[in-house]
Amino acid sequence: MRTPISYFVVVSAMLFAIGTIGVLVRKNALVIFMSVELQLNAVNLALVSFSRMHNNLNGQVLAFFSMVVAAAEVVVGLAIIVTVYRRRQSASVDDATVLRG
Amino acid sequence: MLDLVWLIPALPLAGATMNLFAGRRLGRRAGWVASAAIAAGFVVAVLVLLDMASLPGDERAHAVELFEWISAGSFAVDWTLRVDPLAITMALVVTGVGTLIHLYAVGYMEHDPRVGRFFAYFNLFASFMLMLVLADNYLVLFLGWEGVGLCSYLLIGFWYERPAASSAAKKAFITTRVGDAAMLLGLVLIWVHTGSLDFDTVLGGAGSLSNTVATTISLLLLAGAVGKSAQLPLHVWLPDAMEGPTPVSALIHAATMVTAGVYLVVRSHALFEASSVALPVVLVIGLVSALYAALASIGQFDIKRALAYSTMSQIGFMFFAAGMGFYSGAMLLLVCHAFYKALLFLTAGNVLHGLDDEADLRRMGGLRTDMPVSAVWFAIGALALAGIPPLAGFFAKDHIVGFAASSGREAVWVLASVGAFLSALYIARPLFLTFFGQRRNQTNSHEASRAMNAPLAVLAFLSVVGGLVLGLTAEGGRLELFLEPVLGVPEHGEAFIGEVALLTVSVALAFAAVGVGFWVWASGRVNWQAFPERQPELAGWLANAFYVNALYAWIVQHPGKGFGRSLTVVDDLVIDGAVNEVGTEVGRASRLAPRIQRGFVRSYALAFLLGAVALLLFLAVRL
Repeated sequence: MRTPISYFVVVSAMLFAIGTIGVLVRKNALVIFMSVELQLNAVNLALVSFSRMHNNLNGQVLAFFSMVVAAAEVVVGLAIIVTVYRRRQSASVDDATVLRG
Repeated sequence: MLDLVWLIPALPLAGATMNLFAGRRLGRRAGWVASAAIAAGFVVAVLVLLDMASLPGDERAHAVELFEWISAGSFAVDWTLRVDPLAITMALVVTGVGTLIHLYAVGYMEHDPRVGRFFAYFNLFASFMLMLVLADNYLVLFLGWEGVGLCSYLLIGFWYERPAASSAAKKAFITTRVGDAAMLLGLVLIWVHTGSLDFDTVLGGAGSLSNTVATTISLLLLAGAVGKSAQLPLHVWLPDAMEGPTPVSALIHAATMVTAGVYLVVRSHALFEASSVALPVVLVIGLVSALYAALASIGQFDIKRALAYSTMSQIGFMFFAAGMGFYSGAMLLLVCHAFYKALLFLTAGNVLHGLDDEADLRRMGGLRTDMPVSAVWFAIGALALAGIPPLAGFFAKDHIVGFAASSGREAVWVLASVGAFLSALYIARPLFLTFFGQRRNQTNSHEASRAMNAPLAVLAFLSVVGGLVLGLTAEGGRLELFLEPVLGVPEHGEAFIGEVALLTVSVALAFAAVGVGFWVWASGRVNWQAFPERQPELAGWLANAFYVNALYAWIVQHPGKGFGRSLTVVDDLVIDGAVNEVGTEVGRASRLAPRIQRGFVRSYALAFLLGAVALLLFLAVRL
């Protein structure tokens, strides 16, 4: 028996909500970063699920793309976080408010 | 050899390019490069002439197609040069006299720091002028026409640090532009009515044009010619153009460019003949300009301005001849005038050089002791212009005045003779005021260098023998016979007085004018300096050339300035007001915007989320 698609979509929505709340409430840049990854993976899950539902491989292909892009983004993002940390001895995003109007 | 005609304009163009890019490095050698370039053009022109002379008269016209220029639908113009007796005559004058003036300029411009640029412009001018005279269609001619206008502007304003020079340059450019705009309209009309701009097609088919069309086209072309040749009413730029270096005045504003208008009329004579009124208009403009400028010249005290008005008067004579249908006579005067007027201008350059740029005739006098060679040159040039036989001007002027006698209208002949008398008078004046009479200047004048006098010797020689060689053979003028295949045989009427009587009158007038000139300005028996005080009104009319400048200022300049001022008000209040108001408002808004940019990344993320939610809700509701 196949697991209904709605299960996957609900899990995906929950993961996305957790990720979003994490981005909004946490101060530590590293944790925010992890939350963003959570959101990305939630979306990947939704893509794969719907792809399965429609018997169309496009969604799965797009999921691979987003993984590759996420991997590349992690490299750049972590490098920035490390550099910011070295400079200010803190990874709190609330301290980094130089770019304000 | 005829196919190599493209070399004639190309060589000076190459010289111009070289001087433009390497002029600074060449330094004083720039002049030699430029002279060599145009002299090479002269050699090619002579070879073309020899080649042409070996052909029978009716096979001498030759079109050399170089490449396709414009091809847009039914409108097609090729880059074609034309070799025929008329074109080659002009090309020989431009390159021949041009070479001599280039050589003179090497000495004249010796101490100028921008000599490379000067010769680049000078060569460029020669190239455009040759393009103009060698063109086979009206568009190539127009390109050369505009090109010489540009070079004239650049060279009048060559000493642009002087406000007078730069505004004279603008005046020349804008005034001729009035005529050029009309000429461009004429070209459009030519194309509309004949479907071509080639000389052969247009002029060959001119007879089938209706009188109205032919008249409109001819008068539009004439407007261009009048602007370029400084005839009434577009003449005001020429006297001011004397602000340029003297070789420029000699080459551009005496020998070549200003005669382009005559060339245009002569070249397009079939169009003018197809109209019933165009040629009489040419005649009247020429005659009135000749008389007007002759009187104005007598009132000038700046030697170059006096010569400028004399140029205008001589070109008036050329238009006058063309207006009578005596095209070859106009060309003979054009060629001879190029010789003696270039000589006169360059000698005036010697005088300016010798007197540290003193140009006022009232502060010259008696210079023949200090500058004996220049005095001889100026005397030859002046007597040639005055029409003393057997110098060049005598033949040219005598042919035209004689033709006027056979035109059937005695009044025209009388006016032409008056013009001839005044010409002799106005040119005797600078001759006697500069070189004869008492010295009125105590500065040390000195004779020009040998390098400067050498080209003048050639010009003086040409001024002496030019008329004999070109204007005299048993069957008529040699130049006139040479040009016959292009210009046809002028229709002679029966002269109302005999040939001998005509000659006597003409020569007597010339001698009388020179005699009067000597008596007034050189004998010391007439107090000519008191003339402005005794006759202030007449002197004012003459010195200010009948106040045409003031009239134009009143008609064009003042309303223009008023209009400009009213536009300034609109500009300040409406346009600037709108722009400033927009700026102020944007500034105010931009001071509000930063308040939402606090720099907290999480608040941005929240805004982002809310936006996404709002967008989703909107989509959900709509679906």
